[in-house]
Amino acid sequence: MSALSDPLSGSGLSRGDAVPVPLPRGRRNAELAMLAFAVAIMLFAFVNVGYGLNGHIPSGLALYVAGFAVLMAAAHIAVRWLAPYADPLLLPLAAMLNGLGIAMIYRLQESGRGSNPGIQIGTLTSHAALTQLMYTAVGVAGFVGVLAVVREPRVLSRYTYTLGTIGLVLLAIPAILPGSLSSVNGAKTWIILGGFSVEPGEFAKILLAIFFAGYLVSKRDVLSLAGKRFIGIDLPRARDMGPVLVVWAASLLVLIFESDIGTSALFFGLFLAMLYIATQRKSWLIIGILLFLLGADIAANLFHHVGDRFTLWFHPFANGNQYGQLAQGLEGMAFGGILGTGLGQGEPFRTALVQSDFIMTGFGEELGLTGLMAILLIFGLIVQRGLRASLAVRDPFAKLLAGGLAFSLAIQIFVIVGGVSQLIPLTGITTPFLSQGGSSLVANWAVIALLMRVSDQARKPAPQPIQDEGMTQVVRAA
Amino acid sequence: MNRAIGRLSIVCLVMFVILLGWVNYLQVFRVNSLAGEPGNIRILDQALKNQRGEIIANGGGPQKVIAESKLTTGGIYERYYPDPYTFAPVTGYDSIFGNTGIELSENKYLNGSAAKLAIYNFKGLFTGHSKQGSSVYLTIDPRVQEAAYQAMVSMGQTDGGKPAAAVAIDPSTGAILALVSYPTFNPNLLAPISSAVVAKNDNALLNDRSQPLLNRAINDTYPPGSTFKIVTSSTAFGTGTVANQTSTIPAPQFYRLPGSTHVLTNDGNSVCGDGHPQIILAFTESCNTAFGKLGARLGGAALRSYANLYDFNNPNLTIPMPVSPSMYPKVSDPAETAISAIGQFSDTVTPLEEAMMAATVANHGVLMRPYLVQQIRAPDQEVVQSTAPAEIRRVTSSTVAADITKMMISVTHNPAGTAYGTASPAVANGIDIAGKTGTAQNGPNNTGLDDAVFTCFAPATNPQIAVGVIVQGGGFGADAAAPIAVKMIEAFEGQH
Repeated sequence: MSALSDPLSGSGLSRGDAVPVPLPRGRRNAELAMLAFAVAIMLFAFVNVGYGLNGHIPSGLALYVAGFAVLMAAAHIAVRWLAPYADPLLLPLAAMLNGLGIAMIYRLQESGRGSNPGIQIGTLTSHAALTQLMYTAVGVAGFVGVLAVVREPRVLSRYTYTLGTIGLVLLAIPAILPGSLSSVNGAKTWIILGGFSVEPGEFAKILLAIFFAGYLVSKRDVLSLAGKRFIGIDLPRARDMGPVLVVWAASLLVLIFESDIGTSALFFGLFLAMLYIATQRKSWLIIGILLFLLGADIAANLFHHVGDRFTLWFHPFANGNQYGQLAQGLEGMAFGGILGTGLGQGEPFRTALVQSDFIMTGFGEELGLTGLMAILLIFGLIVQRGLRASLAVRDPFAKLLAGGLAFSLAIQIFVIVGGVSQLIPLTGITTPFLSQGGSSLVANWAVIALLMRVSDQARKPAPQPIQDEGMTQVVRAA
Repeated sequence: MNRAIGRLSIVCLVMFVILLGWVNYLQVFRVNSLAGEPGNIRILDQALKNQRGEIIANGGGPQKVIAESKLTTGGIYERYYPDPYTFAPVTGYDSIFGNTGIELSENKYLNGSAAKLAIYNFKGLFTGHSKQGSSVYLTIDPRVQEAAYQAMVSMGQTDGGKPAAAVAIDPSTGAILALVSYPTFNPNLLAPISSAVVAKNDNALLNDRSQPLLNRAINDTYPPGSTFKIVTSSTAFGTGTVANQTSTIPAPQFYRLPGSTHVLTNDGNSVCGDGHPQIILAFTESCNTAFGKLGARLGGAALRSYANLYDFNNPNLTIPMPVSPSMYPKVSDPAETAISAIGQFSDTVTPLEEAMMAATVANHGVLMRPYLVQQIRAPDQEVVQSTAPAEIRRVTSSTVAADITKMMISVTHNPAGTAYGTASPAVANGIDIAGKTGTAQNGPNNTGLDDAVFTCFAPATNPQIAVGVIVQGGGFGADAAAPIAVKMIEAFEGQH
């Protein structure tokens, strides 16, 4: 899984920012075959849900599976056209997760409806899966749009500060808005307009990653300068600390005003990782982690909701908590055991918000340890393909962007899966591609588009100089 | 920059490895501890979806299912007790709040979670059957159980429902043929899935002043009264103080207790023979003065050691439900010893102990371990476990047991015997019963209604059933308790 063992990037490691080894082919047919497999898995999941719930094939099966297949085919055609050399794994991996997510949301939506066993989930409408399919359509449209607009990663670096400002504003809006317009299930991370709600943080993550990449590419030389040396670590100069402190303060503000330690950790982790890639200075990592722990500790002591998360972490089954979502999620996962109950045959509806934050416990219960590990490995592969694109691409901006996005995905998985499984204190963030909700889905499709754009850039064969024309050379201007 | 990306890749790898390891830990190694968390709804729901094993009374006569699980709507099983009141002291109940009786002590077999059933459950994984519990076959003879309960019910209709309990044992094996408590409860009231219904019914039963949930047969104790004279006689013969059943013992009309002003009399201040009767006559007429004086001569220590042989003072007896200990206290004062020798003072017994006393005599002096569970059978009828009869200990020699048997036969056969009118062959359809009555004084200064006690076995010459009956406040032992025992024995012999 590590890029270190990757034959493509292995040579690149020793040579620093070295020349990638382009593949001769885009392997688009392999992508198509894997995509068909992902759609087949979704089909099986739907059939499984139907048989598990009431012994019949779901009536909407054709609509869901055909609709999803058409969307994925569209994405595939767009890739053939817009990014023919992009990594062939990313799209099928994302499709697999997206399809499983729709199947699980369908399973949860059907719980207790009609003559189906289980209890109806109050926070889930009777057309949640269809809505999720429509969000998938928007996500795929966004995916194609990003590939079409961003023909070269570097194009984005022109808008570094514009996108960064938009990102910060998006992040800040829910904190400023009154609770009635920004709070869903206790998380103040939304913008609610009429019947429509958006979680701007999901998009802010991408915009800020672009901003960090642009900023760090221009400032990396300055930031790499060493100041004093302390216990074997080169400390940065005090005057260079400014940007780090600004991002730290911003992440703390998110934590405080939006009650959202998960998003806060995600942003700060994203920034630190990109700072580290840009400067290769461990001192930045150490300073950053210490700053974050300090901030989290202060917040835990000052704000009850943060402290409560720790109490819950230590005592998920204490009196009063035993029917809470963390306890129910854990009991559900244990109930599923190694092989799971089978889709439609467990009781994931016992866990509050199992369709969003706790969806991994639902998979753990019904698909078991086996299914959960498969899903974790799919996430791991996406991260690995992202890091591999980052290693392989030559352009520093694209390198930083892909590295940052891939790493932030890894942090996000760690924070949410670790949180719902009692490994770390629980923080409410979405599970990419699986959780119900449009913002997360659309934003993550955009992330996949960016990673594929970077990998396309990395794998694109260099234009061949035409030797016969003597001194004439193809010069890349961009 | 690639060097840093490489290191971050390792960080990502570590995070994913930690997650994978952690979910393995959760879903493999913590499965049991999480399943055992109090109030784990999934586990409770699953239990409702599995068919719980049956409880079957298989100790004689036609086999009878006394607890079964019936499929209701939504694939959920609900416990059902076909003859709830009669068998409640045996089955106990199976509710969402907890279990009692056999439903509790054999729970792991009934719900199929016992380790020995793993192989059957494993087969079920492939045949697609849901987990099914195994059936518990009991030594209960439904005819004897029903006869005892019916006798108590009809008695209750005339006397207003005096608490009573009866136990019947196969003396040669210890198999419990009947275990009845009255008044009792309907376990079907506690079987529903609705916690509100169960809580309401449970509350009503707990607040019922007649204590229907109390299993009087094994978990309540009463003064044994004159039935304790079996222990006193065993001590007298066993220690050689009295040679045999024809030996004479002093039996004054009035016996002033040593060091006390209290005077012990016989029932109705009557004389006992000529004042020096054979012990068999004193036993037959249940003379208190004879056995009180004998007890004082034997001493508290000797009586206690024989009581212990009869399994008094044993807090660890299980059948498999735990049995409250019958008590014979340490006594040294001669007056107290004399009273304790006739089953008064602080002596207490369970109805089960009453049956065990008769069973010991019937089994030639050897006390067998009483047990309820005969066999446990997996859903495919294969026997998973069966109980082999086990000896607790030899209590008396067979000679002593034979002497006591003769005395107990005399109680029902001699026209002067205390149970001649209620348990003689003429009354009991020609069945030879050997018995001993007890009328235990009760309450402060013995002002309460006497408890009626009867312990017996039949047929006297070839004992197959030993019975202990106690009727709280039943008055004279022979009148209230003996008829219940006779009905049980008649049912056992196939007569009604």
